[in-house]
Amino acid sequence: MSMVFQLAWRLFKHEAKRGELTIILLAIVLSVASVLSLSLFSERLQGALTDRSAEFIAADRQLRSRTPVDESWVVKASEFGLETAYQVSTRSMVFGDDELALSDLRAVDSAYPLKGAIKVTDRAFGVPEATSDSLEPGEVWLDSRMFQLLQIELGDSVDIGDSSFTVTRVLSEIPDAGFSVFNTDPIALMSAEDLPKTNITGPGSRVSYKYYFTGDSSDLDEYYDWLRPQLDREIHRWTSIEDDDSAIGRSIARAEQYFLLASLLAIVLAAVSIAVAAQRYSQRHFDPVAIMKTLGAGKKMVQRIYLLQICFITILGIILGVITGFLLQQGVVHLLAGTVEVSLDVWHWRPLAIAVFTGVVCAVLFSLYPLLQLFSVPPLRVLRRDINTTLSSKALQFATSGIAVFLLMWIYSQDLLISAILFVSGIILVALLLGVTNVLIMVGRRLGSGSMGAWTLAWARIRRRAMGNSVQLISFAITIMLLLVVLVMRNDMVKQWRDQLPEGTPNYFLSNVTETQRLGLIEHFDKNNVESDGYYPVARGRFVAINDEKIRTEVTKEERDATDDGRQGLGREANLTWSTTLQTGNKILEGEWLDVWEEGDPVPLSIEAEVAERLEIELGDVLTFNIGSEVVSATVTSLREVNWQTMQPNFFFVLHPKAMENFSPTYITSFHLDEERKPEITKLMAPFASVTLFDVDARINQLREIIDQVSMAVEFILILVLLAGALVLIAQVQASMDERLQELAILRTLGAKGWTIRFSVINEFIIIGLVAGLMAAISNEFSLYMLQTKVFQMEASLHLSYWLIAPAVGAVTVGILGAIGCWRLLSLNTGELLRKMV
Amino acid sequence: MTTAPLMIETKSVIKKVNTSEGELQILQPISFQVKPGESVAIIGASGSGKSTLLGLLAGLDEVSGGHIMLDGEALHDMDEEQRARLRGDKVGFIFQSFMLVQSLTAIENIMLPAEIAGLPEPRKLAQKILEQVGLEHRASHFPNQLSGGEQQRVAIARAFITNPKILFADEPTGNLDSNNSTKVEDLLFDLNKDSNTTLVLVTHDDALAQRCQRQLRMHAGELSEETKPLKVVSGE
Repeated sequence: MSMVFQLAWRLFKHEAKRGELTIILLAIVLSVASVLSLSLFSERLQGALTDRSAEFIAADRQLRSRTPVDESWVVKASEFGLETAYQVSTRSMVFGDDELALSDLRAVDSAYPLKGAIKVTDRAFGVPEATSDSLEPGEVWLDSRMFQLLQIELGDSVDIGDSSFTVTRVLSEIPDAGFSVFNTDPIALMSAEDLPKTNITGPGSRVSYKYYFTGDSSDLDEYYDWLRPQLDREIHRWTSIEDDDSAIGRSIARAEQYFLLASLLAIVLAAVSIAVAAQRYSQRHFDPVAIMKTLGAGKKMVQRIYLLQICFITILGIILGVITGFLLQQGVVHLLAGTVEVSLDVWHWRPLAIAVFTGVVCAVLFSLYPLLQLFSVPPLRVLRRDINTTLSSKALQFATSGIAVFLLMWIYSQDLLISAILFVSGIILVALLLGVTNVLIMVGRRLGSGSMGAWTLAWARIRRRAMGNSVQLISFAITIMLLLVVLVMRNDMVKQWRDQLPEGTPNYFLSNVTETQRLGLIEHFDKNNVESDGYYPVARGRFVAINDEKIRTEVTKEERDATDDGRQGLGREANLTWSTTLQTGNKILEGEWLDVWEEGDPVPLSIEAEVAERLEIELGDVLTFNIGSEVVSATVTSLREVNWQTMQPNFFFVLHPKAMENFSPTYITSFHLDEERKPEITKLMAPFASVTLFDVDARINQLREIIDQVSMAVEFILILVLLAGALVLIAQVQASMDERLQELAILRTLGAKGWTIRFSVINEFIIIGLVAGLMAAISNEFSLYMLQTKVFQMEASLHLSYWLIAPAVGAVTVGILGAIGCWRLLSLNTGELLRKMV
Repeated sequence: MTTAPLMIETKSVIKKVNTSEGELQILQPISFQVKPGESVAIIGASGSGKSTLLGLLAGLDEVSGGHIMLDGEALHDMDEEQRARLRGDKVGFIFQSFMLVQSLTAIENIMLPAEIAGLPEPRKLAQKILEQVGLEHRASHFPNQLSGGEQQRVAIARAFITNPKILFADEPTGNLDSNNSTKVEDLLFDLNKDSNTTLVLVTHDDALAQRCQRQLRMHAGELSEETKPLKVVSGE
């Protein structure tokens, strides 16, 4: 064994020094480095983004409840090592000297918020600043609108229930305020210690409780496992940011899927490069194996020598890969510093384990077939150089590589769907390419039979090395396709994110606008150059029946107990609007929009599709609403898809205007004010003091900031994958250069002009790059369609421009790489070329 | 009276290969004998079957029929592993294209058969023989840093390091200029004489063949003993 070890080590040492192992080593380094850097970076980034998004629920997890929970639940959370906080909220009147206003009253303990910060300003609608101060007993912090409504100043006193409070801060924002134009009540924040003194949470009042938890995700999961059996679905709701269906929640979920996809593709790229490099390594060792066998080495000895070599290469590759990957992600994190606060303090073991595992699996599985080929080289090769190997089953090679790739993808992603989509796309691509190669051979047979020019020579080579070229074509096309998937996916995703918040997105909302005020506002806004987004009439109604079947309309626990039967309802009052125009961002999925209605016909109604599905409402169903003392019935004529991610008012129910003629609605509208005009807001709205004003700029900025951060992270990941892809292409061209060496030497010896040879090689690569690019573009469409519709829940679209770009870029890139490789060979003189062949 | 065992004894050896047009017999039944210490040249035109016969005699390939005895051992009955062991124990090789392992130095190439055979102190043995072929100053050079003549001298040293009983040489001077050819031939025959090794040499160089004790001619897969002296065209 020691002799075998010494021999293997000696071969490894010399080959490493002479650069013989560079390609395979580079492939392993690449696989480990890209997987490590991508996983490490995405894990850290996800941690940072989840932390950032946790601010939207003021904690890592939230337990909402309609009743106070058992004290022991909170105690238990502390035992699990979690930090806790709580909030009690209800609606209550706040009394100023002469005015009163209904508030969304929140009583919080001193630990609130666990994530994010409360923001306050020095004056109503001023510039918000985060504060770490907590509320003292006897204090109340009020929303800007409350100052407007109550006509009060800081330091004034207000009454809530049976207690008086001093207004000490203008409240601008609390992390988990949520946003709804219909949530019309301004927030009043007080200490939870003061709540009992107010006596406002007596029987019949609508009170909700929120318990906040923060800690390690494993502790949180363990706590939830303990808690879950005790939760009542009707009373309790456990939420995390992942459950958040808002724009932020969806953006983060998509970004996470994108990171996963990018890492998966990096693994596939690495696997391709290892397969290519291992094949080359194996071919370069046919002679040494034949020599060793001739000199008396048995098959087992040869196997041991080469398996040991692969072990040395793998170990070195993994060590270098880990170092490179770590430095790479550290560099990216430093580049991102200031934009995304990614913590480098915590070392994540999972990415390291995955990277090492990937390195080992790739090195073993993808070098298996080339190694088996190598072991089967007969000693007779020393006499007959044309004998390569007795093992030749491309089908076996494709099958083992395919299974290995799929298993690797599946194990890594734990997502059968993404793995299957990418894998099936790959298979289709391979089948397509085999067909194309055959066509090419047929075409080449005609083209390659003319006089010996550079193009003729190129076609002739493609024809002659049909199988070799088809393998090369497939690996080029797969590489280009994977790069296209990552690139196009990123473009589509970032575009859709940015489209959610285009420039000029409304940053103020107005509600409770009466008909008279609406006319006044239109004129006022015109005069002040403010462009509003249209006025939507709103009437609040109780949704009471479907096809005359009574539905549950409870909005409080007590009401629920009283009406325990009937179909499931909304659980709150519905906001009804009416219009003959379909709102921007809405799409009719089924039925027809309600623009035509004749007296005597049922009133047409359009319903949001997801609500319809939840409440089991179908086209033709008659819905009944109580609006004030009136009853309105309407027939569902269309189901609508609503884009909830746009910052504009959206409605579950839209009726025909004629049905609502007898109701006097209030209106809601939105408008955009540029940053420099923001100080004007108080003055601008002064003539309309009773109109409720919402400033959502902070919320929009927060959204935009997160989207920018995620987009930037995605860009870096794209660059990493592109880099990985580029290295794979270089490895492939390098590998194919060996095959061309003999031919170049012969052509050179026979006196072929340098430019003829050079152009013939470049032309060959251009043809291969062109075809690979085209095939990649076609396959890319299929992969993207499947990924966007089945995984990313995005709208799929054709990317026709890439049908031109991909072949062009493929031809240019592969052509240039070919030219570089060819230049290296052609810079040698004929003697050196011939010697290299030996 | 006892007769020394034959080094090579073939009886009706044939070789068939599969081609796209069906099975093709490339060696007609061949029977001949080589005594220990004898030097035999197999001559013939390209494609006559010389290298095929050499491959069979050296155990690099399997016979399609007939018997080959090598130093008393039935080569035709052996599997690949047994033939490899036999080659390691008793056979040395020299090839036209030198067949050195490109990633090993000159001395490491020479050591290789000794290591495979498990001989003690292979480096010392290699150094000694490297001196014999006059290349001690090139010990740490890689094959591509050596001239063709030097590479073949390394290959000869490698062939002799295990003291083989029989040496097979396939066109040993085919890739060399006349000056280097002569040096390599001299070295080959000198070492062969010193170690009393049986030599089977395949060549189409009549001058080289003439230096062997016997000449066998291959023609269209058939082997015959050359009885007339070969016409040697002097290079001088």
